[in-house]
Amino acid sequence: MEFQLPEINLQLMAPEIFLFLWALAVMAFDVTTKRKSSSTAGNLALVGLAVTGVIMVFTDQGRGFGNMFFNDSMAVFFKVIFLAAAFMAIGSSFGLTHTRILNHRGEYFGLILLSTVGMMFLASSSELISLYIGLELTTIPLFVLAAFFKDDRKSVEAGIKYLVVGAFSSALLLYGLSFIYGLTGTTDIAQIRSILAHSAVAGFNPAYQESTPIMVMAVLAILGGIGFKLALPPFHQWVPDVYEGAPTPITAFLSVGSKAAGLVAFAKIMIMGLYDLYDPSKAPNDWGILVGVMAAAAMIVGNVLAIRQTNIKRMLAYSSIAHAGYVMVGMLALNSLGLASVGYYMFAYLFTNMGAFAIVALIEDRTGSCEIASYAGLSKTSPFLAISMTIFLLSLTGIPPLAGFFGKFYVFAAAIKMAETGSGLTWIYWLVGVGLVTSVFALYYYANVMRTMYFVETDSPLKVTMSPMAVAVIVIGVVGVVVFGLNPQPIVQFASDMPAALGALLP
Amino acid sequence: MNLDTVIFIVSAVVAVFGATMMIAQRNPVASVLYLILSLVAQAVCYVQLSALFLGAILVVVYAGAIMVLFLFVIMLLNLRGSEDLGQPPKALSRFTKYTIGILMTLELVFIIKGAPLKAMATGLIGKAPDGFGSVEQVARLMFTDYLYPFELTGVLLLIAVVGAVVVAKSRKPGDPEETQTEETAGTNTNEAGS
Amino acid sequence: MLEIIIIGTLKVIAVVVVVLTCCAYSTLLERKVLAYMQHRLGPIYAGPWGLMQPIADGIKLMFKEDIVPDRSERLMFMLAPIVSFIPALLVFAVVPFSSDFSMFGYEIKGVLSDLNIGVLYIFAITSLSVYGLVLAGWSSGSKYSLLGGIRSSAQMISYELSYGLSIVGVILFANTLSMTEIVNQQASFWDMFIFRQPLAFLLFLTCGIAETNRLPFDLPECESELAAGYHTEYSSMRFATFFVAEYGYMLAVSSVATTLFLGGWQGPFLPPVIWFLIKVFGFMFFYIWLRATFPRFRYDQLMAFGWKVLFPLALANTMGTALWVLLTDSVN
Repeated sequence: MEFQLPEINLQLMAPEIFLFLWALAVMAFDVTTKRKSSSTAGNLALVGLAVTGVIMVFTDQGRGFGNMFFNDSMAVFFKVIFLAAAFMAIGSSFGLTHTRILNHRGEYFGLILLSTVGMMFLASSSELISLYIGLELTTIPLFVLAAFFKDDRKSVEAGIKYLVVGAFSSALLLYGLSFIYGLTGTTDIAQIRSILAHSAVAGFNPAYQESTPIMVMAVLAILGGIGFKLALPPFHQWVPDVYEGAPTPITAFLSVGSKAAGLVAFAKIMIMGLYDLYDPSKAPNDWGILVGVMAAAAMIVGNVLAIRQTNIKRMLAYSSIAHAGYVMVGMLALNSLGLASVGYYMFAYLFTNMGAFAIVALIEDRTGSCEIASYAGLSKTSPFLAISMTIFLLSLTGIPPLAGFFGKFYVFAAAIKMAETGSGLTWIYWLVGVGLVTSVFALYYYANVMRTMYFVETDSPLKVTMSPMAVAVIVIGVVGVVVFGLNPQPIVQFASDMPAALGALLP
Repeated sequence: MNLDTVIFIVSAVVAVFGATMMIAQRNPVASVLYLILSLVAQAVCYVQLSALFLGAILVVVYAGAIMVLFLFVIMLLNLRGSEDLGQPPKALSRFTKYTIGILMTLELVFIIKGAPLKAMATGLIGKAPDGFGSVEQVARLMFTDYLYPFELTGVLLLIAVVGAVVVAKSRKPGDPEETQTEETAGTNTNEAGS
Repeated sequence: MLEIIIIGTLKVIAVVVVVLTCCAYSTLLERKVLAYMQHRLGPIYAGPWGLMQPIADGIKLMFKEDIVPDRSERLMFMLAPIVSFIPALLVFAVVPFSSDFSMFGYEIKGVLSDLNIGVLYIFAITSLSVYGLVLAGWSSGSKYSLLGGIRSSAQMISYELSYGLSIVGVILFANTLSMTEIVNQQASFWDMFIFRQPLAFLLFLTCGIAETNRLPFDLPECESELAAGYHTEYSSMRFATFFVAEYGYMLAVSSVATTLFLGGWQGPFLPPVIWFLIKVFGFMFFYIWLRATFPRFRYDQLMAFGWKVLFPLALANTMGTALWVLLTDSVN
């Protein structure tokens, strides 16, 4: 029997392979060595991530395994985000491994690394099956990590909820993808796009006078599946409970890494694959308006419900729903600015959110509480934390000149530019309007936290002892937010390669 | 109506019936049994589509292994009837679920009535080539064109094993090394891997 | 067309009748062999050498009261014996019991259906066999039965892995999944796969015993701890069905082992069917012999043996065989 193997180009996935092996090594190390400090495994994981970053610099872009692995500039961009998110999540975990996670430290860090590997594979997959497996690789370690406090009911509940939701959304996504495969006969995303664009064979009407029901079904199922991953309403209900119950660094990782992974999946399937179904001139028939409604709902639901929260993790959970909405506004702007703005937004969000959660983790380690009330008097006892937290919250709100502001600015600018191009796109103006109005709500609840930190008097002010690693993470966050806020150009430059990666798909 | 059509109709009806009854049952064991029924009927459908290998694997892996584990867990928890499944759902959630269910059904009806299915059957996919669905063909595809997802699946299973062990193993600090029996780890692994 | 249907039906009926008869007389064989091994005589009153004993047993069981416990799940309780019995019969659909022969001018194949995934089919069917036991255990509403059912599900899953892997070696050598083809490849004595895959043979045999819940792996029904386990609550013909099913599985595993490792119906001088039966009953004798010789495993020993000994061995055998095939390129 003769076998014709596709061209494999293993060197293109050197970062992924290295990180995977390193994750296994971290776990093996933890099992085999008897005497070690509580941070050894974590330090090893950090080293692994750093080395992976270095390897990535030297890795070429190109295709491997036939056409299935594609290390393009979009993949590289998002891989940087994933690596940075994992780095900061691990950095803010050292308090936990000192106090609460006394067993399975190696597995804890190893699973974070493995999840990152999954995200990286996801980012460079150019075909539906490997994309789906990448998504599963991302989420399965997160189920376990969310339930890592096995003696804590909330954590276990978070794990189980995330598992059930994850399984359900995967099923939905697969269901939709199977329809796409049935209609086009291929799982290759580029081919799907060209078939949908050029052929009427699949019973798909290229003139888009009518969307065929089966395509509508497929799009709905895919949107549902990805909607769960991105926590877009009406698929957002799991978020607060999971975010609250999971260990705080994992919550941070979920809110940034997992969200970015969902965005990549969205970009690959919807924008690269099903681009031709997003026809602005036939607005009621396309998936654009659907996503637009979901994004608007996300901004409203997230920001309004966040106001009432007294637990900072729940508040940040709702705020992450809102931020997913903002990002989707950028996603919908299919011009060259759109994807770049999404990239910039995620970068800003990475520094901001990871930094904020690092502070939450520190305070939770100290007090065991995530209530906003327990932040009272933080400015007196620990001005560094209070100032950093203020910077992060301001950036989340979108106050210039911080990175969060430029994120929102680019996203809305891209959307408006899109709206100007086509008729029937007035709804995008409405979307931007919703975004602007809800940002004001956001200011209210973020300011509430700042007020508590600075102006609420308390009898027993917090004393927080900080581990150097946590300080490092917070400093990275602050520096990122400020520097990339004052000078957004490098990242915008970096991100603006991405649309090119989508080929000549975009106008 | 030839024999193929008869077999198809019977197995399709059984598959749909099994799937419907699976979600309609309040007794978990009955649910599992209906699912097995549905799976076996689906396997028949696969065989009719000349995907013999897939059909056999469906029965071996899902009906034969995973469902046994489900039963195993249900029996260990000794869930007997409706009383273990909590309160009946609230009116609102019942309303949403029926609405969405009806909408999905309508959608399916539209799909079945729509043109694309015919186009799919005649145009794009067409007739299966010789040896289609045989072990050789599946293996050839899996180890050449689809090698990448195949290897990724290996990684996925490994991660699932690690995750299952972490979740299943409970050792408190200071406890003596616990001798966990292999069968627990093994069963969980299989479940997660599925 | 009509001829094919009639011949097929007749063949099916013949196979079913033969299998059922073999099941019945296996019980007699077991009692006799056990008796002689323990210096007893066994059944001697019903017919010469006790030959009518199975029939007498059948009649006795038929007239016993059929008891369905109050706390049982009625429907499943009644279905379980049938669910348990049917897969055992289905296995014989792909077992080649003879070479092709001609009778009354018709060319007749020595197998009911020469499926090109025969081996996989057998796996699919035997993997369903566990449901009979599990259902019986669950639906009886008795603790002993439930324990028996749980044990059997855990045991079946644990041993099915090694069971499946042990066959992979044979498949790798034979390069086919068709049972008929596998038999054809073992035409001469030294071609039998038992010589090329001795480890796989031992593994298959061991796992086969576990899959059929026979001693020393009969934990699902061990009398001393569980009072007959999953069929504690059964009586009358339902009990008899379980009994027949157990022997049916033994016959099925023996036939598969014969086909895969001992060359099936191949053999000199005697007609193929006779060779097939001789080999199968050789295995049956081996089963009974084991029962007379070994004590029962403890439950944790059973699990440890399955996962820590058999499974690694089966994996090693598979990988070794694959490597061997790759290096010698005996595929072509």
